[in-house]
Amino acid sequence: MESNKKSADIFLDISVFLTGFNKMELLGTGMLETYFNVVMNMNNVASVESFLAESEKILIKNQGNEEKINNEILHKLMPDSLYNGLAKNIITMWYMGNWMNTVISPQSYVQGLIWGVAETHPPGAKQPGYASWSTAPKTVQ
Amino acid sequence: MINNKTYDVVIVGSGISGAVMAKTLTQAGKTVLLLEAGLTAGISLDRNGDYQNYVDYLNTFYIASAKVPNSPYPNIKDAPSIDVLDMQPISGPNSPSTSGYLVQAGPLPFASDCLRGPGGTTLHWLGSTPRMLPNDFKMKTLYGQGVDWPISYEDLMPYYEMAELEIGVSGNVNDIHWPEASNKQEQVELTNKFYGKDYVFPMEEIPTSYIDGVFTKLVAEVNTKNPVKVSGKDTKIKFSTTPQGRNSVPNKQYPYRDITWDSKTKKLVLQKDKYWCPETKEVVDSPLDEKYEYLPVGATWDPNTGQRCEGNASCVPICPVQAKYNALKTLYKSDRHKITIKTQSVASRILYDEKTGQVTGVEYKTYHTADSITYDTNIAKGKIYVLAASAIENAKILLASNAANSSDQVGRNLMDHLCLLTWGLLPEKGFPFRGPGSTTNMSSFRDGDFRKEHAAWICPIDNWGWGWPVFSPGSDLSNALAKNMFGKELRDQLADTLPKQLLLHYECEQLPEPDNRVTIDPAYRDQIGNYRPVIHYDASDYMKKAFETAKNINNQLFKATGTQDFTFYSPTLTADYVGYQEQGYNFWGAGHIVGTHRMGASKKDSVVNKDSRTWDHDNLYLVGCGNMPTLGTSNPTLTMTALTFKAAEAILKQLEK
Ligand SMILES: Cc1cc2nc3c(=O)[nH]c(=O)nc-3n(C[C@H](O)[C@H](O)[C@H](O)COP(=O)(O)OP(=O)(O)OC[C@H]3O[C@@H](n4cnc5c(N)ncnc54)[C@H](O)[C@@H]3O)c2cc1C
Ligand code: SF4
Repeated sequence: MESNKKSADIFLDISVFLTGFNKMELLGTGMLETYFNVVMNMNNVASVESFLAESEKILIKNQGNEEKINNEILHKLMPDSLYNGLAKNIITMWYMGNWMNTVISPQSYVQGLIWGVAETHPPGAKQPGYASWSTAPKTVQ
Repeated sequence: MINNKTYDVVIVGSGISGAVMAKTLTQAGKTVLLLEAGLTAGISLDRNGDYQNYVDYLNTFYIASAKVPNSPYPNIKDAPSIDVLDMQPISGPNSPSTSGYLVQAGPLPFASDCLRGPGGTTLHWLGSTPRMLPNDFKMKTLYGQGVDWPISYEDLMPYYEMAELEIGVSGNVNDIHWPEASNKQEQVELTNKFYGKDYVFPMEEIPTSYIDGVFTKLVAEVNTKNPVKVSGKDTKIKFSTTPQGRNSVPNKQYPYRDITWDSKTKKLVLQKDKYWCPETKEVVDSPLDEKYEYLPVGATWDPNTGQRCEGNASCVPICPVQAKYNALKTLYKSDRHKITIKTQSVASRILYDEKTGQVTGVEYKTYHTADSITYDTNIAKGKIYVLAASAIENAKILLASNAANSSDQVGRNLMDHLCLLTWGLLPEKGFPFRGPGSTTNMSSFRDGDFRKEHAAWICPIDNWGWGWPVFSPGSDLSNALAKNMFGKELRDQLADTLPKQLLLHYECEQLPEPDNRVTIDPAYRDQIGNYRPVIHYDASDYMKKAFETAKNINNQLFKATGTQDFTFYSPTLTADYVGYQEQGYNFWGAGHIVGTHRMGASKKDSVVNKDSRTWDHDNLYLVGCGNMPTLGTSNPTLTMTALTFKAAEAILKQLEK
């Protein structure tokens, strides 16, 4: 349990740097636990563990230095050849609610981060109300 | 087994055409048997069951990885639906693509789908409801192309008004631009002539989108400073707002409350102060002290839900609140004591007396559960029969029955709007992915002398980014990831580009051509032994020339408005890829499946007369877009619904003879 909790924390910390969203925003989706379980269950465990170990190393070593962290992520996590492309799959999961090409759950679709980035809402959910589309989104007004 | 009850009318299909029939006939006191191929769960007269079923559709939509029109709805092996996901390139003349329900013989695959299920295709339609233009009915006379209709726009006007009430159209009559009007006064005169001086739609115009405002403003500048050149001539681009079947604010000036049958005059009447009362089952006077105001029709499970469009931006494939019209709203208004609905019942053949031509029954197969291989065969009996199973299915049933085809036109003249899509990034944010699919259209090229040379088109401004051609925003994410973007850089890149996405679709009018057709072949059947439609389909030079002209106009517009062009066409983008004058073009289907049993003035070259009755069988009517001799540049359902009211009137007249 302990080690699982720790792994989930690292997963969240590295997700912040992978997605460009802060911890509060990621937690706000309510999807952390689901996504962490998907990562653990849908992949080779050894590979996930070494991905998380590498992530932890990067985060601790460069603590407070965003540029260095990003540089190491680019070379040590992002390349497709590493960890079966896990980093990109994690980003896609947060943005789209998908694992590979499958939508994880109705909730994950609705919680996709991409819709907020596009200054809109997931089609078919969180409807913004009559005539909302005729003005610029509230976020920029 | 023979079910020996004889109904006044047997209707096949519960889409909008079948539902309008069922409602109109039962309210006029006639008994109706409705056969519906889809699952029983999809028609629930109990509100709770109705709601639960709809929630299932919605959740299926949420988890669908490709959110295509049919994605929320069950696809049943006993009554399969055409699905755009099944579309493939066709490798050669004798090797049809058979991966889906359609057998696509080519040379090009037919690109549109429809829904076989209770409520039919309006469950996933967009809901745009422009009328056809008066000139659309006279293509042969005016432009030497296609055929003329056996009726004029003016003949259809009262039925258009009925259709606009039934669907619940929101719009602004004064914002409909006539391509032939060269000044304001002509514009007003044409509107007065073709809509009536004081005509208004039941509801006010749906607010246009923010992106409409951004793009039309940019184009207005182009119009004054640097107008687009078409055949060397400066041409101003005009826009209209799009009338649509989704709920907005009731128009206080709108006078009509119901459509009722008048036995004395033998006419359907648009009523201002009478209505059909569901309790007493008769036409009653409105209370004298009541000030009438149109009441938007809400969700089938709760009239208070969906009173206004809430901007879910998922009208295709599903409106979560049913602010958008669907045919179940009409079906549920039928007199429930007069209607018998048999679901999971797939019509396979029409039976008729060889000597008299009288139809004697509809053979149908009732399957027991979804996908089951067992079924019962029954015969439905009525005085009059109506096929309302959509254009391709109607034609297929007729071919399977060797019926109504003395003209050899059954199945022929299959048409669609061929959509040429163009996409780019606006110079400023237009904030797409919001609101109904489209609220404004470019209407300048809906009519003109050019129709002698190439197809006319309507061009809606799309409100949903590049979703249609390239699956945005998912593809934008994967493209950025392919460049190893992540973190804030990724977020900023998407935040900067997604809100600038602009998509236009040039929906080009396909002409009736005898070789674009539905046939049947005993080699291709579905799980319960019914024929699968075999489709032969191609795009003529008349279409391709329209692509060339539209693309040329589009290129000028993009350049002059500072819109960065991202349009590309390739054989791998969609299976419908054609070459013309050394350029390649992709086109997409519009879902407008039209023309397979056309209406005409003569028995020689048409399947039905102007009342939608088959020339060959006195008691067989066909309804749906298959009746339309040509397509025009309007989305077809409003016109088809008008024709359906006209057909219902003719049926009532025939029954009461
Ligand atoms: C993505 C999309 C968007 C669209 N948007 C628009 C739009 O904006 N505006 C517009 O005007 N039009 C639009 N259309 C077209 C519109 O949806 C159709 O024209 C309209 O719904 C056709 O109605 P119908 O009643 O003739 O047929 P359908 O709605 O297709 O209904 C046919 C019914 O018959 C049943 N049936 C089929 N076969 C059998 C059988 N053998 N036995 C028993 N029952 C059977 C089916 O289950 C179904 O209930 C769109 C279509 C698509 C695909
Ligand atoms: S925009 Fe939303 S609420 Fe409005 S009709 Fe479309 S899906 Fe329904």
